[in-house]
Amino acid sequence: MSSNLIFHVDINSCYASCEKILDPSLARKPAVVLSNNDGCIIALDAHAKALGFSMGQPWFEVKQRAHEQGVIARSSNYELYGDISDRVMRVLQEYAGDFEQYSIDEAFLSAPVSPAEAQSLARTIKDDLARRVGVPVCVGVARTKTLAKLSNKAAKKIPALSGVCVWDALPTERREALLTTLPVSELWGVGSRSARRLTLQGICSIKDLALAPPTLIRERFNVVLMRTALEVRGIPAIEWEENRIMKDQLIYSRSFSDPITTEEQMCQVLSVYAQRAAQRLVKHQQTARYISAFCSTSYFAQGVQSHPAVRVKLDTATADPVVITRASHRLLTRADFGVARYVRAGIILTDLHPAAYEPLLEPFISPHDKRQIARLLHTVQEQCGEHSVGLGYAGLSHKPSWEMKREMLSPRGTTHWNELATAKIR
Amino acid sequence: MFYYKSMKAILLARLDATAQAPYPYPETSVPAGFPSPAQDYRAVSIDLNDILIKDKAATYILRVSGHSMVDAGISDGDEIIVDRSLRPRPGNIVVAALNGEFTVKRFHIDQAGVGWLYPENPQYSPLQINEESDFTIFGVVTRCLHHV
Repeated sequence: MSSNLIFHVDINSCYASCEKILDPSLARKPAVVLSNNDGCIIALDAHAKALGFSMGQPWFEVKQRAHEQGVIARSSNYELYGDISDRVMRVLQEYAGDFEQYSIDEAFLSAPVSPAEAQSLARTIKDDLARRVGVPVCVGVARTKTLAKLSNKAAKKIPALSGVCVWDALPTERREALLTTLPVSELWGVGSRSARRLTLQGICSIKDLALAPPTLIRERFNVVLMRTALEVRGIPAIEWEENRIMKDQLIYSRSFSDPITTEEQMCQVLSVYAQRAAQRLVKHQQTARYISAFCSTSYFAQGVQSHPAVRVKLDTATADPVVITRASHRLLTRADFGVARYVRAGIILTDLHPAAYEPLLEPFISPHDKRQIARLLHTVQEQCGEHSVGLGYAGLSHKPSWEMKREMLSPRGTTHWNELATAKIR
Repeated sequence: MFYYKSMKAILLARLDATAQAPYPYPETSVPAGFPSPAQDYRAVSIDLNDILIKDKAATYILRVSGHSMVDAGISDGDEIIVDRSLRPRPGNIVVAALNGEFTVKRFHIDQAGVGWLYPENPQYSPLQINEESDFTIFGVVTRCLHHV
């Protein structure tokens, strides 16, 4: 009988690959994708990497060279990436027993196959995604999530594997070589701080961590790291996300195209962000107990530095946009308007509960919740567009001046009817 | 030159264009009296997504521009539904990426094994796919949403 193996699937250079699906002119060209406001490079394909470009490079520094070398830049098109991601996840679920989407471009799935069968299943998944959705992926397969993720790294780095790495099908020497040469920091869930502390204790390579007694790791570090150590030994210790408690935080934060200096503008920003955050809560059928709001000046700018933040405990867990918006406005009294130039703001909702998690006593139900304001806004926005309706400042129909700059945006060809890709029949 | 056969249109079903997620019909409560005879014949409205899109992950919608496919019923400004899950076969109308652009043509392979892209308009000539062409098939066209 074969036990379950875990597959980790990850889209290669996700954003750049998404851009290429509906734009054949990019097929043979190096491509980079820029962050919000076209600030820096946040994704790039292998071709652009080979030309010496890298993640995090500020665009204004490398723009000239990129143009000279024929590198195509695109603003981040989250509508497109989100839609492509949904398609990939939909295909993956056809193959999955257990399934967990880990981020926009990666997922874990389990299947009851032997290592030999895993090889061909992984290849099938890879080919199916290339054919149907049109994105390249790598697949790592192992008995644990941590090893599956490590195998995926190997699949990406070692060209001979051509995108698929089944840990147990690798020759023993190869596995040993990987474990002894790779530092612990290459492992999923081992941050740079833990890696430094481990190194101080003589645990440098992944092999060292596998050999260390798990109880010792738990005593000297924490239970999370112990689980990682067990997983490296091939013992599943990290649960599937769907079985764990819900992710306990929702962040909506963006930077502005132009700095904000007045209370009125900031009030508008907070209203819009608070309502978008509330909208996401409604969509995921959750409520929040705490709301934090923050804004900050640029670390790179001259002048006054200001990073005010507030945290507000709400009377009850709610997804009510009125309550959340009102709470976010408490930030306004803490900001230095007139002197500080704010470039970024955000809303963080924490202590999340499934909607109707606890039956509320009548007096504690927010009046807006009772009237279903959140759901009504959500429905109207879904049918008539994001900017069709909003509360107070967020309902202004003209586009606010601080909205994100996306000057090199590709068409949102899978989500917006008037931006479909064009096929020529000349 | 042209002759028109008389055309018939058959009403397939009531189509509710606005319904995105059809609501389940409420249980009809009849406190007293005769139940509605229509009750047993209720069905969910037609959803065009279900009919036009067989594989949601693999289907893309593109808008066409140009006139080389008019005889195949594809006109300037029409939207076409493209299914990437289907294996392109000779004779299919496909979207091909050719030299950096999407184009819609009928795909053929001749007896010498050479690939061709055929327009469906006598004013245009077929394109031969040779080794220098930067050519891939994006997907097979399954439907055309023609604007009448």
